[in-house]
Amino acid sequence: MEFYTKPGDYDAINYIPEAQSHGTKELWRTFWILLGITVLDFIIYFVMPHTGFRNFIFIFFGIVKAYYIVGAFMHMKYEKINLALVILVPTVFIIGLVMGLLYEGNALTYAK
Amino acid sequence: MKMANHQEATFEQQPMWAGGRSPFNVSYGKLMMWLFLLSDAFTFSSLLVQYGAQRFSNVQSPIVTKWPDPASIFNHFPWMHGLHLPLLFVSVMTFILIMSSVTMVLAVEAGHRKSKKEVVRYMIYTIIGGAMFLGCQAWEWSVFIGEGATLYGNQFGITEAGHKVFGALKFGDHFEWQPEYRTSGPVPFAALFFIVTGFHGFHVFSGVIINIVVTIMAARGVFDRRGHYEMIEKAGLYWHFVDLVWVFVFTFFYLI
Repeated sequence: MEFYTKPGDYDAINYIPEAQSHGTKELWRTFWILLGITVLDFIIYFVMPHTGFRNFIFIFFGIVKAYYIVGAFMHMKYEKINLALVILVPTVFIIGLVMGLLYEGNALTYAK
Repeated sequence: MKMANHQEATFEQQPMWAGGRSPFNVSYGKLMMWLFLLSDAFTFSSLLVQYGAQRFSNVQSPIVTKWPDPASIFNHFPWMHGLHLPLLFVSVMTFILIMSSVTMVLAVEAGHRKSKKEVVRYMIYTIIGGAMFLGCQAWEWSVFIGEGATLYGNQFGITEAGHKVFGALKFGDHFEWQPEYRTSGPVPFAALFFIVTGFHGFHVFSGVIINIVVTIMAARGVFDRRGHYEMIEKAGLYWHFVDLVWVFVFTFFYLI
């Protein structure tokens, strides 16, 4: 096992990994996907009646857009899996909060 | 301990959690930006969850006290007065923000190639996009306030008569709200709109300021002297996060 022990040998704080370009092809593809989903949102809004299923579609599309923004634009796909998990796993708490407070909100109807 | 070939040993060959290196293979600044964005994601979701809870508490109300339909309020478009055009203006805003996200990521990519000229050019496009978005939001707010939106009340409740007229409207129809169509509705409606879109707009504003600062730094050759364009990447992470939040603001405030 070999690692640096002498201070100054290795400066972890100031370390900048060598950046490499992944080209612009994927970025433009992501742009067209995001634009396409937004146009689809617009069409569905006027074509479908306002139901719970339509809301589900919109939220699903929102999550798909979030995946492409975080994955491609924010480069999460190219980061180490450690970093991706540290950032993404805590967001499951948001799902719990959403479920809990929507249920509570519904109950508020009768409290008011 | 043997220290002979430490110059040759690459970063990846060192033990990951033994200290002295970043186990995530990112710089300190970028890791901190990610953690800040995680905390900011919690802030925004708490605001949006509050909005959801308030809205769900009105789902089963009769029409007159129901949560206002966004299509009945945000249906204006500049220079097209009196036409019922729901969702069109926010879609334009969304397009502007997506477009500025693309120019931002192109600036980051140019930074990887250390091409100063391209970085500055794409950053200027990004700043213009951000400023356009802020202008659109200012227009949206001014129309909303002009129609009587306040933090402490809600004049956008819809009466039975208004519901009937509004239900028959088609996209692009000429339409004028009459006083008898509207009544007072759930109080936190406008306040939540102002808080959530305002907080997002404040993020866009600070993102534009950050982008201006890093563009000036790039133009003056600071990053060339440093040998890397990582600052553009960090500013880019923030800017894309702003775009990400807008996806959900757009979904929950305008689509649903």
